[in-house]
Amino acid sequence: MPCDELPDDLRIPWKEAGMNGQVFSPNQLRAEAEKMRAKMRRLYLGLSVGFSTAVASYAIIIFNFHIFHNTLMLIGSSFSLVGFGYLVIYALVKRSRTSPDPGETNGVHFYRTELERKRDWTRGIGWRLPMVCVTSVFLVDLGLTQFLLKISPFLAGVNLSWGVFLLGFIGVWFPVKNHRTARKYQERIDALDSAMTSAGQTDLTH
Amino acid sequence: MDQTESQDELYQKVAQEYGEALARMVCAYEADPELRRELSQEIHLALWRSLAKFNGRCSLRTWIYRVAHNVATSHVVRQARGKSVGAFLTLEEAEAQAGFEDVEHSADRAQALSRLFALIQQLDPLDRQLMMAYLEGLDAESIAEVTGLSAANVWSKIHRIKNMLVRRFHRGERNAL
Repeated sequence: MPCDELPDDLRIPWKEAGMNGQVFSPNQLRAEAEKMRAKMRRLYLGLSVGFSTAVASYAIIIFNFHIFHNTLMLIGSSFSLVGFGYLVIYALVKRSRTSPDPGETNGVHFYRTELERKRDWTRGIGWRLPMVCVTSVFLVDLGLTQFLLKISPFLAGVNLSWGVFLLGFIGVWFPVKNHRTARKYQERIDALDSAMTSAGQTDLTH
Repeated sequence: MDQTESQDELYQKVAQEYGEALARMVCAYEADPELRRELSQEIHLALWRSLAKFNGRCSLRTWIYRVAHNVATSHVVRQARGKSVGAFLTLEEAEAQAGFEDVEHSADRAQALSRLFALIQQLDPLDRQLMMAYLEGLDAESIAEVTGLSAANVWSKIHRIKNMLVRRFHRGERNAL
């Protein structure tokens, strides 16, 4: 039976691999850990400064230059700003959610948690991003169409068509794509659960 | 001796003793050389950090394998990004494909090893953990501690993975003759 030959068969090339892995000194690792912390600090700082600047610039543009032709455009633009702010905060909160401790957690539980995290992220962003994009940009587009109607009905038509295309592309394609991806993660979780259940193991929590 | 010093000393001891096993594990998890370097660093960093929290509730070896496999699993899931998470083969899928695969013609050891890595890389992360722990010579009880499966379940799963790998592996060797 070939299976009986396997230990000699595969363990030998495996053990003989004799690879010299990368060698790290504790000081190198300490420096790397500090570098990663600094990178995260810079990212948070960059996002905060960038977003504050965007809000301030937007407020200046809205109130000083009166570039919005009607209330619909103003509401849409303000809504997009608030919406994207919400997305930034959502992404930061989700990113900062820590994984279970890799030393304290067994492989099954850790793998399941990772799949759940990815599934929840994909599902979450799958409807939040289109909701923010489509509603705000479509409001602006409707406002602009209303304004263009007074100048050229043709341009208004083109503009409205673009809005409808955007609504279809981001509003339908993106959630569907993310829903499918989330479903793949869910299928993996279900396969893992059913493999455990069929093996008589129901406790995946330790 | 303060905590940092003992953490550093313990890490150095671990890196010396398990360095090669960790390198083999990284190769079996990641095919891309650049990502392999990243993963290797990620595992060593996680190990060094986690050793400060090592409480002796399990053996040091179990702790090391848990950290390394869990970090690698996280890497694999992250790299898959959903679109290819469905590309991992469950045991049933891998077994179904075993008879039809066109394997490279080679009897040479280095290529045998790369074929072995390639076969393992197709498996679901949990099955990879099982197979690698088995190839490293861990017994069923230790593998159960690392993975969270029962020892009986570990044994039956390993038996199935071995069967499947042997069929694919020997098929490659026969093709080489």
